[in-house]
Amino acid sequence: MVHIVSRMRKLRELLWVRVGPGAIILPKEVSKITMEFCKKLEGGHRGPRHFWHEMLPRVKYRNPSIPIHISRHSDPAGPSLLHIYTTPSSTTPTPTSTSPLSSTPPSATPNARTTLTPDTSAPTHTIPCLAFSESQILEQLIETTGAVVVQPTPQETEELAEIEDFKRRSEKDRVEVREKLMKVRREQELLKMARGEVASV
Amino acid sequence: MAQPRSLIAPLSRFGASVVTGPKSDLPRFTSLSYQTIRCATNKSDTKKKKKGRSTFICHDLKRADQFSLVDAMHYIRAFEVGRNPSSSKYEMHVHLKTIKNGPVVRNRMRLPHPVKTDIRICVICPADSKAAIEARAAGATLVGEDEIFNQVKEGIVEFDRCICYIESLQKLNKAGLGRILGPKGLMPSTKTGTVVTQVGPAVRNMTGGSEYREKVGVIRMAIGQLGFTPEEMQNNIKAFMDTLKKDIGQLSDRVSKDIHEVVLSSTNGPGFTLSGEFRGPNSVSPKELSGPL
Repeated sequence: MVHIVSRMRKLRELLWVRVGPGAIILPKEVSKITMEFCKKLEGGHRGPRHFWHEMLPRVKYRNPSIPIHISRHSDPAGPSLLHIYTTPSSTTPTPTSTSPLSSTPPSATPNARTTLTPDTSAPTHTIPCLAFSESQILEQLIETTGAVVVQPTPQETEELAEIEDFKRRSEKDRVEVREKLMKVRREQELLKMARGEVASV
Repeated sequence: MAQPRSLIAPLSRFGASVVTGPKSDLPRFTSLSYQTIRCATNKSDTKKKKKGRSTFICHDLKRADQFSLVDAMHYIRAFEVGRNPSSSKYEMHVHLKTIKNGPVVRNRMRLPHPVKTDIRICVICPADSKAAIEARAAGATLVGEDEIFNQVKEGIVEFDRCICYIESLQKLNKAGLGRILGPKGLMPSTKTGTVVTQVGPAVRNMTGGSEYREKVGVIRMAIGQLGFTPEEMQNNIKAFMDTLKKDIGQLSDRVSKDIHEVVLSSTNGPGFTLSGEFRGPNSVSPKELSGPL
């Protein structure tokens, strides 16, 4: 099992999911977000992938009921898009209401995409992501949907600074320890050579 | 500083060397005597170290962050965003307070909401017996005796689990399949509970059943699919913990095992120590977590 200290340290850094770029609350009309981009980086698919890894967890944390779906193709020349689906706020047939809230559990057999209901309607907005950086994609997302950005509380900013400071110190320590270790190793190597075991060189 | 000196010292016996050359004679003698003393102390050190502990370390959980189930699921769903919901799973890690060389907890159980149901099961029993009909009715994919033995000998193993009817055990042992099935962990034996008298219930338990066993003081098991709602997860976790407690109770009185820590994790997420509550004061409503991912 992962050691408890490293686990707790990771949990303390959970803060990054709560605050930071991507911590936005989407308006109620947004019913679903999908992305499609290439599995490989070349051809400008770096931004979308970073957006997925860094920003989307924050978006999902703040909007737990909005389904987010990603499909990745293997063609570098293919599309790289972010679709936003909306439903008119008056009718509100959001996926949460249509989702299986009845007594039957979702099919346990792992069929492809059992948990997503097929949606054939066209997306309301489509943002091209090709060759954009993740922050640019986020800006466009906020602009098109009119999402509210969550500002961190003073306590959270303090904690963030603390974590930052801790990381800086640990990096310094790491360099120091590494230097010491290399010194010891170099001395041992020299001694080995002096004893005539030159095979290693 | 002491180490290089003690290593240089034996060189002085063999005469001139590049490194030791420029050094004077006096420090060499001092270092020799120093070395003998160091060796003596070193030996006593190693003797002391040999006494290890017989239990696994259990850290105090008072300072650890603990999460309610809904909170943990809220975070995990954020971490698993965009992943295929059928390939990522919730995992359960149960840390036990136990001795290192005692018996291990090991069992198979059926969760209220099974995680994986498409395993292929092979039942070894006479093909036209009552047991074979039972097995087929319960969902076994392969039923038979000699045909299966021949297939396996040719190297065709098209099943994930193997059950043997108790009356066919002799035939199975004579066929000598242990070499092929043994390394795959498929060889039926009474120890693992795969030699049964009632085929039907055994097969039914296996489809959608999951196995768990203790390894270095921790039991790990897949506990749910990512698309499960908090209520379903709660049912699964409750059922798992109940059977686990029953299992621990069935061990002999001399060994004492206690559940120390329960961690909920997922394929791509961090591990969350569960506090045992369903909802915390600041949790989101479970309804929000029950939609598609």
